[in-house]
Amino acid sequence: MTINLDPKTPQGDLKDKWDKHKFESKLVNPANKRKFTVIVVGTGLAGGSAAASLAELGYNVLSFCIQDSPRRAHSIAAQGGINAAKNYPNDGDSVKRLFYDTIKGGDYRAREANVYRLAQVSNNIIDQMVSQGVPFAREYGGYLDNRSFGGSQVSRTFYARGQTGQQLLLGAYSGMMKMVSKGKIKIYNRREMMDLVNINGKARGIIVRNLITGELERYAADAVLLCTGGYGNVFYLSTNAMTSNASAAWRCYKRGAAFANPCFTQIHPTCIPVHGDYQSKLTLMSESLRNDGRVWVPKKQNDTRKPAEIPDEERDYYLERVYPSFGNLAPRDVSSRQAKYRYDEGKGVGPTKQAVYLDFRDAIKREGKDTIAGRYGNLFEMYERITGYNPYETPMMIYPAVHYTMGGLWVDYNLQSTVPGLHVLGEANFSDHGANRLGASALMQGLADGYFVIPNTLSNYLASTPLEKVTIEDNAFKDAEQAVKLQTSKLLGVKGKRTVDDFHKALGLIMWNHVGMSRNETGLKQAIADIRKLREDFWKDVNVPGEEGNFNLELHKASRVADFIELGELMALDALERKESCGGHFREEYQTPDGEAQRDDENFAHAAVWEYTGTNSSPIRHKEELKFEFVKLATRSYK
Amino acid sequence: MSSQNMSLNLKIWRQKGPKAEGKLVDYRVDNVSPDMSFLEMIDVLNEQLVRKGEDTIAFDHDCREGICGMCSMTIDGKAHGGFKNTTTCQVHMRLYKNGDTIVIEPFRAMAFPIVKDLTVDRGAIDKVMIAGGYISANTGNAPDANAMLIPKPIADEAMDAAACIGCGACVASCPNGSGMLFMGAKISQLALLPQGKAEAPKRALNMVQVHDSLNFGNCTTHAECEATCPKGISIEHIARMNREYMKAAFTYYEKKNAGGGV
Amino acid sequence: MVTSAVNHYFRSSIGRKQLVAVTGLLLCGFLVSHLTGNLLLLVSSDAFNLYAHKLASLGGVLYLIEGVLTFIFLLHMGLAIKLTSENIQSRGKYEMKKKTGRGTTFMSQTMPFTGLMLLVFLILHLKSLKFGTMYEVTIDGIVMRDLTRTTIEYFASVGNTVWYVVAMVAAALHTAHGFSSAFQSLGWNHPKYYRNVKYLGYLYAVTIAGGFAFLSVWCHMKGA
Repeated sequence: MTINLDPKTPQGDLKDKWDKHKFESKLVNPANKRKFTVIVVGTGLAGGSAAASLAELGYNVLSFCIQDSPRRAHSIAAQGGINAAKNYPNDGDSVKRLFYDTIKGGDYRAREANVYRLAQVSNNIIDQMVSQGVPFAREYGGYLDNRSFGGSQVSRTFYARGQTGQQLLLGAYSGMMKMVSKGKIKIYNRREMMDLVNINGKARGIIVRNLITGELERYAADAVLLCTGGYGNVFYLSTNAMTSNASAAWRCYKRGAAFANPCFTQIHPTCIPVHGDYQSKLTLMSESLRNDGRVWVPKKQNDTRKPAEIPDEERDYYLERVYPSFGNLAPRDVSSRQAKYRYDEGKGVGPTKQAVYLDFRDAIKREGKDTIAGRYGNLFEMYERITGYNPYETPMMIYPAVHYTMGGLWVDYNLQSTVPGLHVLGEANFSDHGANRLGASALMQGLADGYFVIPNTLSNYLASTPLEKVTIEDNAFKDAEQAVKLQTSKLLGVKGKRTVDDFHKALGLIMWNHVGMSRNETGLKQAIADIRKLREDFWKDVNVPGEEGNFNLELHKASRVADFIELGELMALDALERKESCGGHFREEYQTPDGEAQRDDENFAHAAVWEYTGTNSSPIRHKEELKFEFVKLATRSYK
Repeated sequence: MSSQNMSLNLKIWRQKGPKAEGKLVDYRVDNVSPDMSFLEMIDVLNEQLVRKGEDTIAFDHDCREGICGMCSMTIDGKAHGGFKNTTTCQVHMRLYKNGDTIVIEPFRAMAFPIVKDLTVDRGAIDKVMIAGGYISANTGNAPDANAMLIPKPIADEAMDAAACIGCGACVASCPNGSGMLFMGAKISQLALLPQGKAEAPKRALNMVQVHDSLNFGNCTTHAECEATCPKGISIEHIARMNREYMKAAFTYYEKKNAGGGV
Repeated sequence: MVTSAVNHYFRSSIGRKQLVAVTGLLLCGFLVSHLTGNLLLLVSSDAFNLYAHKLASLGGVLYLIEGVLTFIFLLHMGLAIKLTSENIQSRGKYEMKKKTGRGTTFMSQTMPFTGLMLLVFLILHLKSLKFGTMYEVTIDGIVMRDLTRTTIEYFASVGNTVWYVVAMVAAALHTAHGFSSAFQSLGWNHPKYYRNVKYLGYLYAVTIAGGFAFLSVWCHMKGA
């Protein structure tokens, strides 16, 4: 099989591409729209907004979610805000600047045309969400408030307290509910996608597991939209939700959808540190804390004194030392890496040593406790609830944690994967963030894809593609279902000794140690070998109790972990092949003399696109060359 | 803040399916770290059960950071354990002490049938939302976001109501199993905002009608929901809903076959 | 769906609850006038009798008022019983006895019981006083019922007096929750005023029930 990596980027000037593309797209006659059925897997910002807007157009939408309600998708946990180029504060923002910041922030590993379109529609998103009743923060005059976020030079972030993701998701969810009431969306909850069904080379349906009854179900449609989020849970511990998984995307990969840049993962610097091996997930503390908190570690190794007993001259405020101009606000990838270096030097703090201090002492002294409480009160409360420490009295402890994955299924300008009819939206695709995502941009991308991009590009696909009638009795459905059944009975049949979580934790450890914040050839090769061994052990020794035909949580986890193990290997392989450092991918062999990431634009200004070739054969690495016609490639510097 | 690990006695509701008989079953968990979250403590118990080849305890959870609303559980008779502004996933074991006996039941209400063990079906919440918990603004219709001014106090109050995570603790804690708080929060949020006023009467009528058809009880102003709500939503929003509903019931009028609208 | 909105109102949870609230508040108003009239006992035996006579001589109008009052009362009671029985149906049946007291109060939890107690009280009250022993007295040449005597004689019994005081405690509990709850049900809850409404409710409960209880004891002292 050959794969077609034509990005289908429209010709013309950057700012005209999207308009031109929309105009050239074929339309579906309003009366014909009701004849088409679209499957949308996932109900986060991308899936929820796509389902709602496609249903508004008149398509029949089948929406699948893994939780008990679409409102619980993990987009809900985003705290900070959503970017848009409105320039309401009159501080010099523009579509072009948002575009430029995003391309640069992604270390020049994203497609120009996609990113520009993202910046263009960002303003429509804010308008749309406001009209749906999202209570964004306001000024006394009644106008929308903006704040600066994640070290951005302009204030372009819209927010709803510390729960912007929740409010946006509930906005998208309400749009869905509206269309459910009109009979245009049918919701299937507590369903997990188990396989993609291709007929005549086109994505025509899915196999899902009903998580309550354990039964497999078949659904046919004219197109499939995959909006299933990222794969951060490969690391076991991440800020992702417990059911966030990569299986849907991974099964699509095995059915012919190429996977791009799997090694691009984002590690967020301000999370609550791990406190024990029973830990199930990590909690993010908003990045905004770095506006007032100072990050430090003791200068002495293995210093066991209490933080208050360490005088200033024996503290290393390392971000301020290394990056005098950005200081504590250095970007996510940079700050995370610096924290890791301190740990490697033996200067980490706390019981596990995997932590650094984030200290508000000086801010409280300067501005008073009340002011600080006004800004971060609820975050401090949350921190104390989880850790038992009061951040007003003792510095917070933070450590980086896996947060977001920039990589994902490869898509062209139309968000279509290498399988015709399979479109991939939101974090599940690889498109817009390159090698590193800026703060407050994930929400923007999910909604841009769902509200404004896919309604246009999907109509074009449906209008221009001959779609034969298919039913769920087709052999392709039967075969796919059989394959899932086979895997299930295999999992249940192992009856080994180790629990699923055991394997998942082991995988997480390998990934964190070798495919985490900084990577090197030896480590990556070791990781690949370790993962292969783990995979072998998994299929020999996993213990999945219970049976198929009921609400079997261990079985659900087992099939996800089986996929995580395979994906972990691909991530390590991708990291090994990308012999440069860029964004979240830091290869120790490729750094400047002062320890900063060194890109290799000559050889690696491309997306690495992996094609599946079978269980026991190596995947093939293809390239989509990235052409930069409008921006000049420069070195990211925060010194 | 870690101190000694503890041993706990748990009495957990086990029920194989919706129709099956359920009962409280005794379990013991040792080595519980005070830094564990409540759900991590259950994870440890479930790992024990897997090793013994027993069926694990089914419970709902997802984000584990207090925002998705998936976790439920009634702990010692209180939804989410009864700690102020806290969901079950944010309850930490340092709040308990060595040797404690903890009774864990599902969220119970007629409107929330049990699926298995501690998992319940909260689909009724979605059904109420489908009846009108939205503003009919199709994609592409929106005017500029700043075209409509919303005073800060109104935006803030709407945000207070919008903070609802749809967990259903209000229903589970209500002595009447009533769904007024989550429904009131949504009706109130959208009635406060100018964008939502256009449909406010119809929304209130439809949502209340569906609520009443779904095995929810009636409000008797115990305010147990307000005390239990992990997001601290006030019953003020129920009052606003009552007002909106009354106004709508006596004044809203729609001509039959007026055409245009759906 | 919405064209039958008014019909639905009278069957809906909120609509019926609001009817309970309105009728409750009307009954609260009735109690104020009832207590005011009864306070005439403190003025003189004749004053109270004259007041009773005046009411009785309203004839058809009195029957109308009594009819309306009965209707209000029956509506209040009937809806409350219906709503309560629905609530018992829909609430969760917990193994663990719920430790309440965070939102619920003793007053709110006992509403059905205090309500039923007041019903029993009302029946006995009408039987023993309104339809109690008929005495006659002549004031200013007019023959009228000597309701004062009936009352004093009734309260001469310690048992009767204690029963009345107990019933008034129930009335206090019932109205202390009911008063502010009615405001909430009708949508009159505003952060600026709600606390005051709540205290006004307590004040009302204590004043009215206290007033009646005081009169019972006063009659007892007088008759004993």
